Amino acid sequence: MFGDLKRFDSQQYQPDWFQQLFDSLFPDTGAADIRSVPRGSFPLINVGRTDDAVHVYVFGAGLTADDLDISIQDNVLTLKGKRDVSDDEASEGKSRSHFRRERTRGAFSRAIALPDGLDPDRAEARFSDGVFRIHLPKRAELKPRRVEIQAA
Amino acid sequence: MNDVVKQDSTRDVSTESRQASALWPAVDIYEENNALYVVADLPGVPRDGLQVEVNDNVLSIEGEINLDMPEGMTAIYAEVRGQRFARRFTLSHEIDSEAIEARLDNGVLNVRLPKKETHRPRRIEIQAA
Repeated sequence: MFGDLKRFDSQQYQPDWFQQLFDSLFPDTGAADIRSVPRGSFPLINVGRTDDAVHVYVFGAGLTADDLDISIQDNVLTLKGKRDVSDDEASEGKSRSHFRRERTRGAFSRAIALPDGLDPDRAEARFSDGVFRIHLPKRAELKPRRVEIQAA
Repeated sequence: MNDVVKQDSTRDVSTESRQASALWPAVDIYEENNALYVVADLPGVPRDGLQVEVNDNVLSIEGEINLDMPEGMTAIYAEVRGQRFARRFTLSHEIDSEAIEARLDNGVLNVRLPKKETHRPRRIEIQAA
């Protein structure tokens, strides 16, 4: 039931020239994991399940409830938003030199296919410490059911 | 100036195995107003799970991820595979380690590392002859 979980990115990932050169010089002997994410994807996603629900954890440090747009359509969960690195601009009249800029900035969009049998109308999301937790209950008819054994 | 942001390579053996399993947080580092700023993404790390230390001119940032997980949950897909973040940076001697400040907001850590008074640029007034 959950084997069909896949993800796809709307943004085309284009390796830079150095990576292409590096890959041609040192071809990867083993095949990459089909679900492996290009370095630097944002936000990172973990998915877990319990008997009655699927939980999606979105690791979006620095995002607040207003910055992330979560939508579900046809079992595809789409996460859209924008991360403003507000301190990006040097304050007036001050010079700023950057040594590292690794953090994702600007708009992002990610989509992930969810397992069948979820009830999007009862989905809930909350966030704390930069992690959004989306709770997607399974439809009642798909929950595991205990079968009572009757005495003959 | 460049050695301020040089990655620390002075891991000792005892910390090596712990560091191997740790995640590497993305950071921005910049300099402004006579201070260096380190901004690190530590999603899922609460205030009491965070450790920022300066020891022997090494700034170390460590955070334990604490997620609210329901009982009996099994992972079906994971991009974050780890429980903790860790990263270290060597500081240069011009940083005033007594005056370092840190702030954690929604999983983003801001560390301000001011330079010592003696290392700030000084404007020299030109007197009329």
